Amino acid sequence: MKLTKLFLIALSTTLFVSCSNDDDTSNEPKGVYDNGFFILNEGSAGQGSVSFSNDDFTSFTKDVYTAANGNDLLGEYAQNIFFDGDKAYIIAGGSNVINVVNRYTFKLIAKIDTGLKNPRYGVVKDGKAYVTNANTYAPYGKPADDAAVITGNTDDYVAVINLATNTYESKIDLNATANRLVLENGKLYITEPYSSTKLLVVNIATKAVETPIEIGSSADCLEVENGTLFVLRGSYGDRSEIVKVKLSDKSVSKITFPESLDGAAFMDIENSKIYYTVNNSVYAINTNATTASTTFILTADIGYLYGFAVKNDRIYIADSGDYKADSKAYIYNLTGTLQKELTVGVGPNGFYFNN
Amino acid sequence: MTLRKQFLLVFVFVCQCMSAQSDTIMKLKEVVVSDANLKKYSNSQSVLKLNDSIINKNGALLTDLLHFNSTIYFKEYGRGMLSTVSFRGTTSSQTAVIWNGININSQMDGSTDFNTISGTDYSSVSVKAGGGSLIYGSGAIGGTVHLNNDLAFYDRFENNLKLDYGSFNTIGLNYKTNISNKNWSTQIGISKNSSTNDYKYLNQYTWRGEQRWNQNGQYDIITLSANLGYKIDTKNTVKLYSQTSNTDRNTSLISESETKSKYVNGFNRNLLEYDGDFGRFKTNLKTAYIFENYQYFADNSLKNYTYGKTESLTTKADLGYTLFKAMQINTILNYNRTKGFGSGFGDHTREISSAAFLIKQDFSKDWKNEIGVRKEFTNNYKSPVLFSFGSSYQLSKLYNLKLNLSRNFRIPTFNDLYWEEGGNLNLRPESSYQAEIGNVFTFSNFSLTQTFYYYKIKDLLQWVPGSNGIWTPQNTDKVNSYGAETLLSWRKQLGKNILAVNATYAHTISEDSETKKQLFFVPFNKTTAAISYSRNRISANYQFLYNGFVYTRSDNNPDETINSYLVSNIGIDYDFKFLKSSKLGFQVLNLFNESYESLENRIMPGRNFNMYLILKF
Repeated sequence: MKLTKLFLIALSTTLFVSCSNDDDTSNEPKGVYDNGFFILNEGSAGQGSVSFSNDDFTSFTKDVYTAANGNDLLGEYAQNIFFDGDKAYIIAGGSNVINVVNRYTFKLIAKIDTGLKNPRYGVVKDGKAYVTNANTYAPYGKPADDAAVITGNTDDYVAVINLATNTYESKIDLNATANRLVLENGKLYITEPYSSTKLLVVNIATKAVETPIEIGSSADCLEVENGTLFVLRGSYGDRSEIVKVKLSDKSVSKITFPESLDGAAFMDIENSKIYYTVNNSVYAINTNATTASTTFILTADIGYLYGFAVKNDRIYIADSGDYKADSKAYIYNLTGTLQKELTVGVGPNGFYFNN
Repeated sequence: MTLRKQFLLVFVFVCQCMSAQSDTIMKLKEVVVSDANLKKYSNSQSVLKLNDSIINKNGALLTDLLHFNSTIYFKEYGRGMLSTVSFRGTTSSQTAVIWNGININSQMDGSTDFNTISGTDYSSVSVKAGGGSLIYGSGAIGGTVHLNNDLAFYDRFENNLKLDYGSFNTIGLNYKTNISNKNWSTQIGISKNSSTNDYKYLNQYTWRGEQRWNQNGQYDIITLSANLGYKIDTKNTVKLYSQTSNTDRNTSLISESETKSKYVNGFNRNLLEYDGDFGRFKTNLKTAYIFENYQYFADNSLKNYTYGKTESLTTKADLGYTLFKAMQINTILNYNRTKGFGSGFGDHTREISSAAFLIKQDFSKDWKNEIGVRKEFTNNYKSPVLFSFGSSYQLSKLYNLKLNLSRNFRIPTFNDLYWEEGGNLNLRPESSYQAEIGNVFTFSNFSLTQTFYYYKIKDLLQWVPGSNGIWTPQNTDKVNSYGAETLLSWRKQLGKNILAVNATYAHTISEDSETKKQLFFVPFNKTTAAISYSRNRISANYQFLYNGFVYTRSDNNPDETINSYLVSNIGIDYDFKFLKSSKLGFQVLNLFNESYESLENRIMPGRNFNMYLILKF
């Protein structure tokens, strides 16, 4: 019993990067927004927003947060949603806030609005949330020894949040830059694509930053599958790679992509397949593959691919749009046939599944 | 007669009219205007002049003055915060601000922040609708706003002091002195306007149930001006204008948990001008040095900031020659060298030369024509040939018909060209073809101007996200803008009672010519009205502003709009007749406590108060 519980918790906290996973055995809807998926819309000049569609596309709400909470402000630059039990946590990085809502009704429960500075992504373990904070950014084009550059590149931290009280508890300084993260076996693994070449490792029990693992620049999406951490890195002007880190001994192996796949952006692992995107195209390989596939499953006719997930035998793609008007999300089957097109909010950047 | 009829036929059925708000100029003594071309080459367009009596009745900052008294639409990031304009449905960098004849729009972003300028620093503020690139250069598409310091040459020693104290700890100190004789004229002024600006948001509460208020909205704007004129003899005059300003502003938060940031900007402007009047031959030479800078602190609590600076040298030679009694020609040669450096766009210098040729011909006392061409020379971008044609025909005492056709432009800014990352060196200037017809009806103390205009703007510069997520400017959109402006003024004196009414109305369609959607943040309708009444020592005034709804999204999503708003102000003052004049006044602003905003979640204050003392001695 204990073991299954542990297993469930582990399962529910591992896959938070480009998709989230929270299986519930009963299919009874627990609220209006059960059995479907959320699309997080970053917003631009205005506030971020969240759209919802049920899985069979019979019900769609463009702005669930406003529908549930009236004129309360979600915040600017909505970045990520993570879940714990019946709650969803929506990070609005531009407003230094995490909105805590009931994941099935989207009614606001609380706001975590202290201790955060440009919060990015979060994971949950044992009643605590671990949220990366970008803090200040290094100014562009300045020398490496510039004071603001040094600060910007070293002041990121992980905020530890007590989910029982919805308050900021403490922080773990990283002395590096941090963005996406996963949690596996009591450790946080953190990437950051702009300034870092390392995979950061943080022990959450001791709050110690362990020796980082060198993986190369532009590392972004990451996910753990069978004890191996897969990281996609896709810089422009250099070859994209999937870096595989065997967590038991931290050994590193790589799948180097051909030049035609420069600038790979998103990755999601589903049913032992790695799905990745390059420009507006989606590709897939098996998790045990040693070379990349150059045959795309689909190419979306969109401006710029801004959000991506694979889940329940479907491929979800978000179009950046022009950030001045509502944009669109597209849902395909695994062979690349378009199933549904949804008009969502401004700057959709992620999909989160509520089953 | 037939000509007149044809003229009427051609235009009357299109029925557009426009009116110049009558300005009550009572200066009979010799005044040397700082920008002679504003009067000389604007017969075919409408100019709304706001003199110091109107300036004194309004909030110190230009946004207030122009929002309540002109057709210009303002986007304000909260009270006293960044404020940009849209004139005739154009963008914020398509309205040029002209200081004593020199274009002062930012070289970095192309626009002017109207909350960094205090109207009291000038003799008058004029709003000229329509194109003006021929004379004023880049950005004069929607219209131009003229800040003029006119120097007078007669014996006088005048002081004007205005002190304001209002809600939210809003304090204004505006002082101007004029000292002059027949040969010398000096103007010295200081203005300081500040506010803690911590007003409550009407009916807005946080999720904890606390009253929401405008956090981090403090501002403090200080400007020093000194202008000097010397008449060497009847033919030669030299003038020097100088102005230094600093705006220290925090930036209002949208939600309470945001990082508090701060924006500090300033300018220093110096203009040396020579006027030579040799009968038929007139010459005007200007040399201006303009420095502008900003520092942006993304986090108030840290010392780190990003910055930008430009230093700009402009020399302008305007040579006028009267060919015949009714025909004048002007050649304007212009050279500008701007050096810009900043954390966002590196270190760059650009040089632009231009030549313009203008002819003004009066066929008769009633029929006046203006025509001109201009071409710029620079290796930064390809510059179009600009032109302007204007005609004004006084058909009768009551009715004046005006026509103006022109091509105008807006050049790429330092940000557009050099921003790291994303700056694009392969940009064309935005350009427009525009036409307008104006009808001016004048009857006794009543004047009505109605103008119909049509603009075709192409190569609109838009920052769009590129394939790698980096935003970059592109010449993308084409816009058609058309509409009507009405200006009305009426003044009546009955014994000791003086009643005056001024009103404006603008109807604006500005649509993307591809999608046929209204541009976001362009209202279809805007109306202003001001009624003032005075009797003996007491005067009272009422101001009214209606701003129609605007879309906030390019797809005209009906759910994403900013509601229309209607704001009224009322004021009364009493002249104690101490010194030359000493007025004590009291104003109620936003009288009806309207809850409104001009940008999403940038809430403006409810009912608030101001009192002032004006001393003239």
